[in-house]
Amino acid sequence: MPQAASPHSKGALIEIRGLGKRFGSVVAVDDVSLTIDAGEFVALLGPSGSGKSTVLMSVAGFERPTAGQILIDGVDCTGLPPNKRNIGMVFQHYTLFPHLSVGDNVAFPLKMRGIGKAERRRQAEQALEVVRLSGYAERMPKQLSGGQQQRVALARAIVYNPRVLLMDEPLSALDKNLREEMQIEIKRLHAELGFTVVFVTHDQGEALTMADRIAILKAGRLQQVSPARSLYERPSNLFAAGFIGEMNILPVTWDGEKATFSNNQDIRLPAEALIEPIRPGAAVLAVRPERLSVAAPGEAGTWKATVRDVVYAGAGSLLITHLDDGSEVRLRMPSAGQANVRSGDTIGIRMPPEAVLLYPSGDAA
Amino acid sequence: MNPRSLLLHAYVYAVLVFILLPILVILPMAFSETTYLTFPPQGLTLSWFGDFFTDSRWMASTWFSVKIAVLTAITTAVVGTMATYALVRGANAMGTLFQAFLIGPIVVPHIALAVALYLFFQNAGLSGTTLGYVLAHSVIAMPFTVFTVAAALTSVDPALEDAAMSCGASRFNAFRLVTLPIILPNVISGALFAFIISFDEPVIAFFLAGIRDKTLPRMMFDDIEQNLTPIIPAIAVLLTLLSILVLLAAAVLKHMADRNKGAEGQ
Repeated sequence: MPQAASPHSKGALIEIRGLGKRFGSVVAVDDVSLTIDAGEFVALLGPSGSGKSTVLMSVAGFERPTAGQILIDGVDCTGLPPNKRNIGMVFQHYTLFPHLSVGDNVAFPLKMRGIGKAERRRQAEQALEVVRLSGYAERMPKQLSGGQQQRVALARAIVYNPRVLLMDEPLSALDKNLREEMQIEIKRLHAELGFTVVFVTHDQGEALTMADRIAILKAGRLQQVSPARSLYERPSNLFAAGFIGEMNILPVTWDGEKATFSNNQDIRLPAEALIEPIRPGAAVLAVRPERLSVAAPGEAGTWKATVRDVVYAGAGSLLITHLDDGSEVRLRMPSAGQANVRSGDTIGIRMPPEAVLLYPSGDAA
Repeated sequence: MNPRSLLLHAYVYAVLVFILLPILVILPMAFSETTYLTFPPQGLTLSWFGDFFTDSRWMASTWFSVKIAVLTAITTAVVGTMATYALVRGANAMGTLFQAFLIGPIVVPHIALAVALYLFFQNAGLSGTTLGYVLAHSVIAMPFTVFTVAAALTSVDPALEDAAMSCGASRFNAFRLVTLPIILPNVISGALFAFIISFDEPVIAFFLAGIRDKTLPRMMFDDIEQNLTPIIPAIAVLLTLLSILVLLAAAVLKHMADRNKGAEGQ
């Protein structure tokens, strides 16, 4: 890939400092600070209305922040219009220009940069090759499938070797298989071309598989910025814990060493179970469904539960159970070997202390 | 065909005949050899058409009408497209009021508009001038341009211009290179309607006409008052042909616009 060899294709450093955006009395983004390293792939993840798109649009230049600064490679871009930022952008609905051929769509940014026709054609064809659409230059956008159109949009965004690629839920309009294929495709391009990627999504699976780091937003505020693994295994608060993946959340009483359930059963927790110091009293215990396992009822150190539902989903199965006090506990396990558990059965739940996290109660859920 | 649908067909054709009858009556009268209007026509001649094309007074007013209609078409296309863009894309609190002003002339009787313009233009020194006509005709033609352009613009994704800007296009270039080409068929067909509206507009022409420059419809009024020769139906035939041509062009453009819109799907 010729682009990969070019020194210009290295990513840019993005610094978001104290970013704020108000729409009238509504605060969309509240004091968000985030430094994205050159060449890093960061996903902005959050529910709708969390401000993730507003942060992205501020970096792109389509939103004018009401507070804070955005620096790209140390240059303050806060007031710069989008066309002066040299940023590649992929939108949610492809946004190909319907009246232009695929080749002219991809060549559009080159035309805006005053590059001659022959050279435009050559570079556009090269970018199409990168997204595996060689030979499609003459077609019109409407003749392509959704996935192909999004590839063209991707080619158009990278054709001029931008140092930053922004993506606003670029895969949400695609069906599942295409989406996974495009996730791999985008990862590959990122590895080959080395640009910095900021990727907005509400799909946590997408964020976990694609990004180097994930920034979780809620109600305009940054909740946590971590690599996928630590975000999944050690979410910094209850919101992040509940938002990423499935999490069993159970009320307990904490005495500094043991967490006691409402049925007076307790579990001794290692110091690592606490993300931050928690005062003795009411607390919340969190544990991933796949970290739990089924034991014989009454076995020492297990929790007695009644199976309410067994959901078979191919490779894995989901057990929905409830404890004596009625609180629901979910277990996920490989389907193989679980055939003997049925709805209505009484089982023991084994909960390894190292899989448990403890949060202060009343933390934003 | 069952009796009910036969009845329906008969009804539809009756309506069509009723609409077309005046034209069907006028048409043959243009070929009459008599020097007065008569139906059925007597004899067959093309001389009235020849008279029209060779008479310098008729030609002068025709060209004057063409000039005003062309300028009106251009004015409404440019101003109407800009106004429609503001209406459709802008988030202005005054939008509704603005829209009411733009399309108001459709409901205001032309005679009221003509009287008002007459008084105003008289003081402003615009009566009988090309500028006066173009301004007045643009006002009455504007609603049609706004409607045709809005129909296209509402179906164009605003994110397309964002995409163009992210590609490095300035705000104006994003409009010029992306949105405008997509809505262009509708802009042109809006301009064509404006042309036709201006070209056969009689009421305002009646009030604004100066001594020297008269539009074609105004000349026809004068001629009807004084002579009433078959040159009037001859011109009517020509005007009808022109309207049909313009409507055909508009239909072709609409077809093109629909194709562009189809391209945007997904």
